[in-house]
Amino acid sequence: MTTAIITTDINIGPFKIPSNGQSMIMNNYAQRNNLVVELAIPEPMMSNALATVQWLHKETKLSKVILSSIHQLPTKQDRIEELLKNMKDVEFHFALEGISGKGRDFLLKTIKEAKMFMEAQTIDSAKTTWSDLYKVITKDKK
Amino acid sequence: MNIYEELMHGRGYAVIPVENMETFIKLRDSFVERINVSNGSEKNIEFVRKAIAKMSKAEINKSMIDILKFTNLSEMIVNSFPKLIESLCGKELFIQRRATMIMNVPGEGQAKQWPHYELMSGISPFTYVIWAPLHDLEDQSGAYYINRKESLEIMKKEQSTGLVNGPTVLNMMQNQKSIPLKFGQAIIFNPFIIHGNVTFSSKFARIASSVRFQSCKKPLLQKNSEYLKYYQLT
Repeated sequence: MTTAIITTDINIGPFKIPSNGQSMIMNNYAQRNNLVVELAIPEPMMSNALATVQWLHKETKLSKVILSSIHQLPTKQDRIEELLKNMKDVEFHFALEGISGKGRDFLLKTIKEAKMFMEAQTIDSAKTTWSDLYKVITKDKK
Repeated sequence: MNIYEELMHGRGYAVIPVENMETFIKLRDSFVERINVSNGSEKNIEFVRKAIAKMSKAEINKSMIDILKFTNLSEMIVNSFPKLIESLCGKELFIQRRATMIMNVPGEGQAKQWPHYELMSGISPFTYVIWAPLHDLEDQSGAYYINRKESLEIMKKEQSTGLVNGPTVLNMMQNQKSIPLKFGQAIIFNPFIIHGNVTFSSKFARIASSVRFQSCKKPLLQKNSEYLKYYQLT
């Protein structure tokens, strides 16, 4: 039974985290939570299917996996179903959010949370000022 | 008082009552239980405040890190003010993932909170903050708030010179009066309100909880799931 960290594409939902930065985040999380990392799994760029992890799980029997963020979970329904089916007994840890758990309900709740963030509107801070931001909230209707 | 009007067009902050005291007392007791101070037979909030007042800065820092394990603190604060929060933001929220417990020690040379706006963090202009002490505040041991009109004038003045939280704001610690609060009262304020705290004298530390929240339908400056989490009021 193995604990693994997983690096993915630099583009992680709203974040941009290079692979080395992801490793730092996950290893720091492991240290703070007394987890011993035995395997590092690189997922390919431009994919959030976690297919390599699932393939390795069949070979290696992973017990815990650490990801940098909830935004590394799949977003396409067929990929989500594959993950739920293949990784139901694996404990997932998300280092930035500081949450962990396992099973279908936990993963679906986490995927929903990631979706809520991705659906949120944003204001481009490079194209505004503090005064303009104040105007935005006072003109906004509750 | 219409709290929304007061926050947006009035002073920018308001004193509010805790709506659900049962939850808030549980929050306080949970903090007392978790904080690592000598476990006397009468371990209560006053005992803890007295013990913290005697701690070194390093010991306080360690205690604050230990308290990060209080993972349902955000929900407990939010559920202490459910009606007000729903009236401001609806039921679907982004709330601070790790709400803060703030421990301030009396006397000169102790850590103080410099004047600042919550917007400095760049999370969102739509967040509100609730700050609630876990005990009655003694004279001058609370936090001060600069009203909306003055906060905005300072912000505009600094912005015109290319600054944010520049010397004008940082020099505001002098001669500020804190707002007296009783256990069961809190302050709510918008993210454009300058606030901070000053040195106070007491035999007891000041302990307060605070949380940020907003409607998940309102825009963010950053989709920061490290700082915020999705939460639905029941």
